[in-house]
Amino acid sequence: MRDTPDASSASLQGNRPPSEHNSPSTAISLTVNGVRHHVDVEDRWTLVELLRDHLDLTGTKLGCDRSECGACTVLLNGQPVYACAHLAVWADGADVQTVEGLARDGHLSPLQQAFIEHNAPQCGFCTPGQLMMATALLNTIPRPDAAQVQQALVGNLCRCANYNAIVEAVVAAGAQQGGAA
Amino acid sequence: MSTAIQPLTTIGHVTPRVDAIERVTGQAKYTNDLKLPGMLYARVLRSPHPHARIRHIDTSAASRLPGVQAVITHENAQVIWGAGAVAGGRQYSDAIKEITRQRRYIFNNPVRCVGDAVAAVAATDRHIAEQALALIQVDYEVLPFVLEPEAALAADAPRIWPEGNLCLDVQNNCAPVVSEHGDLAAGFAEADQIFAQRYDTGFVHNAQLEPRCALAHWQGETLTLYTPSQGIANCRHDMARDLGLEDRQVRVVCHYMGGGFGNKNQNQDADLIAATLARHTKAPVMLEYTRRDDWLGMHGRWPTVQEYKVGVKKDGTVTAIQLIGYSGMGPYRKNAGGISGIELYACPNRYRSLSPVYTNRTTSGNFRAPSEPHGVYGIQSIMDDIASKLGMDPVEFTLKNMLRPTAEHPFTNYSLDACMQMGVETFDWQARRKATPGSDPGPIKRGAGFSFMMFRAALGMSSAVVQVDAQQHYTVFVGVTDVGPGAKTTMGMIAAEALGVPLSQVTVVSGDTERCPYSVGESGSRTTIMTGMAVVEAVKDLQQQIAARGMPTGNDVLVASATPTPVPDGTMRQCFGAHFVEVEVDTRLGTTRIVKYVAVHESGRIINPQTARDQIRGAVIQGIGQALHEDLLYDPVSGQPLTIGYYRARHLTHLDVPTIEVHFLEVDDGYGPFGAKTVGESGIILTPAAVANAIFNATGIRMTSLPMTRDKLLGALR
Repeated sequence: MRDTPDASSASLQGNRPPSEHNSPSTAISLTVNGVRHHVDVEDRWTLVELLRDHLDLTGTKLGCDRSECGACTVLLNGQPVYACAHLAVWADGADVQTVEGLARDGHLSPLQQAFIEHNAPQCGFCTPGQLMMATALLNTIPRPDAAQVQQALVGNLCRCANYNAIVEAVVAAGAQQGGAA
Repeated sequence: MSTAIQPLTTIGHVTPRVDAIERVTGQAKYTNDLKLPGMLYARVLRSPHPHARIRHIDTSAASRLPGVQAVITHENAQVIWGAGAVAGGRQYSDAIKEITRQRRYIFNNPVRCVGDAVAAVAATDRHIAEQALALIQVDYEVLPFVLEPEAALAADAPRIWPEGNLCLDVQNNCAPVVSEHGDLAAGFAEADQIFAQRYDTGFVHNAQLEPRCALAHWQGETLTLYTPSQGIANCRHDMARDLGLEDRQVRVVCHYMGGGFGNKNQNQDADLIAATLARHTKAPVMLEYTRRDDWLGMHGRWPTVQEYKVGVKKDGTVTAIQLIGYSGMGPYRKNAGGISGIELYACPNRYRSLSPVYTNRTTSGNFRAPSEPHGVYGIQSIMDDIASKLGMDPVEFTLKNMLRPTAEHPFTNYSLDACMQMGVETFDWQARRKATPGSDPGPIKRGAGFSFMMFRAALGMSSAVVQVDAQQHYTVFVGVTDVGPGAKTTMGMIAAEALGVPLSQVTVVSGDTERCPYSVGESGSRTTIMTGMAVVEAVKDLQQQIAARGMPTGNDVLVASATPTPVPDGTMRQCFGAHFVEVEVDTRLGTTRIVKYVAVHESGRIINPQTARDQIRGAVIQGIGQALHEDLLYDPVSGQPLTIGYYRARHLTHLDVPTIEVHFLEVDDGYGPFGAKTVGESGIILTPAAVANAIFNATGIRMTSLPMTRDKLLGALR
């Protein structure tokens, strides 16, 4: 693993709600978007709770909390997972990428740029999950066709039903960049 | 009058959303992304019974749990949720609040459906709040229940309200809603043939991806409410009325929200529960609904039963239309329960009797074109059937019978026949339609269907403020929220066009009642027309000020505002559409696949072609879901809801979706902002009817029940 900036665990404690209970917890360390975190997580926390409520990465959305909608999709060691269905403690030692980690040095990824140009977000709530699942796809299949995109993103629902535009954006990003998403 | 469209400078060009970067980087802050110091988390306990009286609630164990700050129930929190009942689709008012006999509270006793709210807890942690719910002991006296509207009207049906199960109107009158035109008996007497058919339609949730939530924060006697709202002005007024405050004591903020589709242009019970808990605890409270809470707290499109009787002459002229309709409203009449569609026909003799009925299912709410898609499915199914039985092409039959402008009822412009013509050609209707329904020889059968609509595009009151500073930067203040269609961008484009400046010189401020004037809210497809007109008028005022005083200098700004209140001039203003779809039905499996879909719309001038196109595509796909899958089913024995959540409701996924072809016929009828009409709701209106008619054309089987699921199709094919 490359060198990563280290977030102090003291500041993370500051983000935690007052502890008036004795829920079992475990000390873990993980890397999120290139930043190493050491954090004491309650065993009942899901990964999406850790990201949103304790690391202040609220880009990842919680749509159903029951593994149905895909809004909470993040990459865990490069693999897409539903962060609502993954306990935070299981992420010990893992490398996590969220939507906040897609842009590098202030430059949007080609996929993000394509999402803008093709109007892929409507309400925008499913967008982070669609982006992460599509990023995983482009890492595997650099120039997917529409059918491959539909297959890969089947677990990411969009109730605005903007599916056509999302697929067009992912295909365009692949065609343009040869998959360097 | 309409004129051919000329290209404008900003309007009519594909324009990325002004907040697109926030939407693709995770920077966009939705309500549940907010945190305030000392914020508590809240959860709601819901009834497990379809109908029960609460004898006693014991909250002592829950209150003792460390971290719990408040537990509220109907005993200690009697807050009326005005918009939650009785308004019947009208805006709830102080007068109605006084008159109504059927008040809905945030917690009700008896509870009248599975999911009716019973208690709420605020705690320092969401897990503690959830633990506390499990410690609340409720002693229920279980009551008999009824789920179907017609059964609920039987004399011996369990009474959900003392006055009976036919919904009272806002004046407490108890009678079906009847509308009559012409002479129905004479119309049937004139007919050569009379056709009758019964249709029923499902209970479809808006199912927006963002579950309901609310963050309430009191500072003294002033409430700030962060909530996903389609109408911040209406929400503020509702909150003030329900909590006994002045409007100025409530601030409602919504900068981003994860969809609404019609159900959120009033305050929500989540808003009131969060505000009540925040008042009890003297701390900010974030109430988060789970997906199940969202599904059962309030649902979407009301289930209906529609009994049609239609009289027709031999030449295909419709002489009489009768509809006896029933809408299942759940236990509270939050919305109208309408069934629209028969008024799309020119037939002068029409009768509709509509009974909105209480049932022990969850409350029906507005869902995108609240009265139309199910009604258009019913009437255009029977009309398609009649055309087939008379040996007529359904398009030809429609051209003969559809409503057209007359001297007494002029339209601002009319392009329904043009939409149909364009669809017939683009879709290749004659080639795809089976002259004999069900004539494909094998088990996999193709067929084509068609439907049409017109939908209101009327002007109305709204407000806007526009200012300019010495750097020639313009700021537009509008009380809209961007539910997803792109209202911020649309308002900015209208302002830029009116001002004659690039969009980059315009900032749009929206979504905060403290900073923005009144807007009607993102419902009824009204934002672009009504608030757009206010922007145009405010810009005119600003330009007059600039002409008189010159551009501002130094720290000065010029400010203009407008609240146009259009006076009707007797013309009907409508948008128009025609949809054509080809389906493939596997008669062995009962599955339906969409092969080709062409949607032709006349929505006046299109402001942003890309977002307008995607409103139609999304609406059509939602309509396909309503046609084929989505329905909140209940177990008739236990009264328990069965198809909760996306998986069980079988919402369409990437894999189920064809490419939807959208064509706009653009016109400028001289009304509205640069001639713009409505887009948002219109696309869903036609879809279930078009798909049903295509399934008939493919199989020769008329499906009389939505959704047209595999089991229903296989049953009908047997």
